[in-house]
Amino acid sequence: MAISTSRSQPTLPRWLTRILINLQKRSKQWLLSASAIFLFLLIWQIICAGDNPPLPPPTKVLEETWDLIIDPFFDNGGTDKGLFWQILASLRRVAIGFTLSAVVGISVGVLIGSNKLLYGAVDPIFQVLRTVPPLAWLPISLAALKDNEPAAIFVIFITAIWPIIINTAVGVQQVPQDYKNVSRVLQLSRMEYMSNILLPATVPYVFTGLRIGIGLSWLAIVAAEMLIGGVGIGFFIWDAWNSSLISEIIIALLYVGIVGLLLDKVVDFIGKLFTPGGQQ
Amino acid sequence: MVAFLEIDHVDKIFPLADGGRYVAIENISFKIKQGEFVSLIGHSGCGKSTLLNMVAGLERPTVGGVILEGREVRKPGPDRMVVFQNYSLLPWKTVRQNIALAVNAVMRHLPKGERRGVVEQALDLVHLRPAADKYPAQLSGGMKQRVAIARALALRPKVLLLDEPFGALDALTRGNLQAQLMQICQESQVTCLMVTHDVDEALLLSDRVIMLTNGPSAHIGQILEVDIPRPRHRLEVVEHPSYYSLRSDMVYFLDQQKRASRRQRRGQVIQTGTGAEAVRSQATLQIATSMSLEKNSLDLGFIPLTDCAPIVVAQEKGFFAQQGLEVTLHRKPNWRAIAQGVINGELDAAQMVAGMPLALTLEHIGTAPVPIVTALTLSRNGNAITLGKHLLAAGVRTLADLKVAIGRDSSRGYGLGVVHPASMHNLLLRYWLAEGGIDPDWDVRMSILPPPQMAVNLKSGKLDGYCVGEPWNARAVYEGTGYVVATDLDLWDGHPEKVLGVREDWANRHPKTHVALVKALIQACEYCDNHEHREEILTLLCQPKYVGAAPDYTRLGFLDAYDYGTGDPPQPLPGFNRFFQGQANRPDRLEMLWILTQLNRWGITPFPSNWSDVLDRLVYQDVFNQAMQELGHDPLGHAGMPPDATIQLFSGPAFTPDHPLAYIESFAIKHPNAGQMITVDLPTAEVA
Repeated sequence: MAISTSRSQPTLPRWLTRILINLQKRSKQWLLSASAIFLFLLIWQIICAGDNPPLPPPTKVLEETWDLIIDPFFDNGGTDKGLFWQILASLRRVAIGFTLSAVVGISVGVLIGSNKLLYGAVDPIFQVLRTVPPLAWLPISLAALKDNEPAAIFVIFITAIWPIIINTAVGVQQVPQDYKNVSRVLQLSRMEYMSNILLPATVPYVFTGLRIGIGLSWLAIVAAEMLIGGVGIGFFIWDAWNSSLISEIIIALLYVGIVGLLLDKVVDFIGKLFTPGGQQ
Repeated sequence: MVAFLEIDHVDKIFPLADGGRYVAIENISFKIKQGEFVSLIGHSGCGKSTLLNMVAGLERPTVGGVILEGREVRKPGPDRMVVFQNYSLLPWKTVRQNIALAVNAVMRHLPKGERRGVVEQALDLVHLRPAADKYPAQLSGGMKQRVAIARALALRPKVLLLDEPFGALDALTRGNLQAQLMQICQESQVTCLMVTHDVDEALLLSDRVIMLTNGPSAHIGQILEVDIPRPRHRLEVVEHPSYYSLRSDMVYFLDQQKRASRRQRRGQVIQTGTGAEAVRSQATLQIATSMSLEKNSLDLGFIPLTDCAPIVVAQEKGFFAQQGLEVTLHRKPNWRAIAQGVINGELDAAQMVAGMPLALTLEHIGTAPVPIVTALTLSRNGNAITLGKHLLAAGVRTLADLKVAIGRDSSRGYGLGVVHPASMHNLLLRYWLAEGGIDPDWDVRMSILPPPQMAVNLKSGKLDGYCVGEPWNARAVYEGTGYVVATDLDLWDGHPEKVLGVREDWANRHPKTHVALVKALIQACEYCDNHEHREEILTLLCQPKYVGAAPDYTRLGFLDAYDYGTGDPPQPLPGFNRFFQGQANRPDRLEMLWILTQLNRWGITPFPSNWSDVLDRLVYQDVFNQAMQELGHDPLGHAGMPPDATIQLFSGPAFTPDHPLAYIESFAIKHPNAGQMITVDLPTAEVA
């Protein structure tokens, strides 16, 4: 019976069938999420209806920010730029700061992870420093670097580096004894051990550190920009607040959230590229 | 022996956190030849993996050293490749890359192309070419272990070290891999040292098995040579005569180790605990008694017959347990299986027909001589001669009648069944027939059948009669197919019927166990001879796992009056099944000698000129005496053979031990080879 019915149907190309099946599988999830968002907006709309609401309702937000949404690329000079440029400026700072912290963090992590003595010595310092909130670093970095731009980048760097160092160090320490034994029996040289066993075994730990790091950097940049000014999504929000443009703040927050999520996914994706075969 | 790899007086001591020392391994020394496969076996925590790691160089011995080809092992190296239990493959490398990493690291001197060839060859060796580009996470456990073996073998190590290589695999995969490993080792002549906890794996793969005692201070408990020829196959190996005895030796050793550690643990509890001392000290005493036995868990064979009662009772009423024995009973289909089981070591001891120890010790048709000894007679009497109902119709009521009936139609060929050539049934039936002028080898057709099949064969007409133990006579009477023409009370009242048989080397290696076993069975025999217990014993016997016969007819003779099936009223036969009364349990050299004369009379065994020595070796009077004394009975010191003792059957000359050959000669009807004397070279007894 089953055979005859499937034969009577026109056969679809394989890729199309796969997409359809995928959609079918996901549609329920999508439907759920969409209805939750809709419900949220609806409640918001109802609460913020009437005169002089505490926050503008969604319809008003959309209405007031429509220009910003449809044209993210305008540039009127100074800080009056489209949202694309604002976000790009923030991302540029994050890219520089985060890259620096990744390079330094992984190196320091490997170093202290493979040296028990060193680890014991510096671990307490790191434990204290990593709990310092990002913004607390800002005054001291401004004092030391005397310029807004490097100070902002330093805040990102110093915020992201701790989870990277600590996770890398733990990863190095957690290289299974079996793999070390394999290297000992094969009498691998130090370099061969590093490239064939130590680094691949540490990769998953490193990327866990990097993911936490990127989240913290994004967190830090928005806050730092509010204080130091200039082009950037953080200052954009602060500027909107000063001008009482609540709708612009709301739309900017949405963008910040989406970008944060994307950053996390990108790091995760790169991490997967670096761990062939999956980890046990 | 040329030592290729030598483990020389190795100790391994770990410092403890509290400043103490833990001696894991103490004074282990052994040598391994090139190409040899040696297994280390022991309970977990006995330090066998530590020992392997020391050979690998991953750990250093605290005292002593490991020497490979005259050089001390100081650090790990690719000449001693290890196959770890958890495979230790790098998960970020494919199968090929994993092997290539090893090959490239170790064979740096070879050109690139050649190294690639080595990798491919290794892949082929374990048939993994189709999976060469897969990552370990995509492989099954068995495939991963094959990669690990391929990686190790690709480097052509001098020694292959295997740490429970198949421990994590399912049985089927394990079997396949073991076969592959064996083949590879055979082909490339690799020297192997394997750690395992699997007895069968060790036996299948190894040339020698080294058994380690439990830690702390683990040392070599025993070394077994596995003399099974190669190439070996899983299915054939188990049929090799040595297999079961080697296996039981190993299981026994491991069992002992387990008990020892349990005792240690319990000992600690008793030391630290307070109160209820009396109970505990009694418990310790019990453990102490059982510990002093060489072996606690025994396999005992029996045949479904009423007179297996002592064995069933000893098990069911806890007499074995009282003596610290843990007995597994094996019901065997026939007496040949019993003999086979004892010879190949599958059974520690067995219920045997009285002539079986002699027949197996001397050369007996089809089997090589194996010295069997007995220290206990389990039962006396209990047999009868049953004939088919058609003979009753023909008026056969006595032996003389039977002679007439057979003479009347000599062409018919009367068929008579017995259970074993060396059983009293055979010897008594033949004696009876011969006394009546019937030659059992010419006038009738004698055949060997398992006891439970007698009645069925009589019913189907294949047999005209048989001599067997109960309940198989009573069954024919009960079913109306046969009648009893004579019980053995009419032939020789009080003859030995079943004995306890063990291999001589077993008896010498387990003297205390032997006494304990005999004690338990004497207690059981005493229990059986109390008629108040007979009803209960009958219920036990009739269970399907023992005799499995209906209680209606099994009770006849054993409990109730004996029905001959001739239409006469049943007669009480009080001494029909004797287990204890009247010195029933005493193993008697004179009786054995009578059996020997009859075995020789009918051409079943030769007659040894050194018969006195043979009987001395065969009858373990001392074990019986000790058992009786320990039970508080008087063994009635029949140590030697009383000069005036005679055996008198219902007819024929009285038997005295003075001239056994003359006794045989005195019979008119006998086998043409009867009376031949040979010198039997008794194999030297191994005393452990």
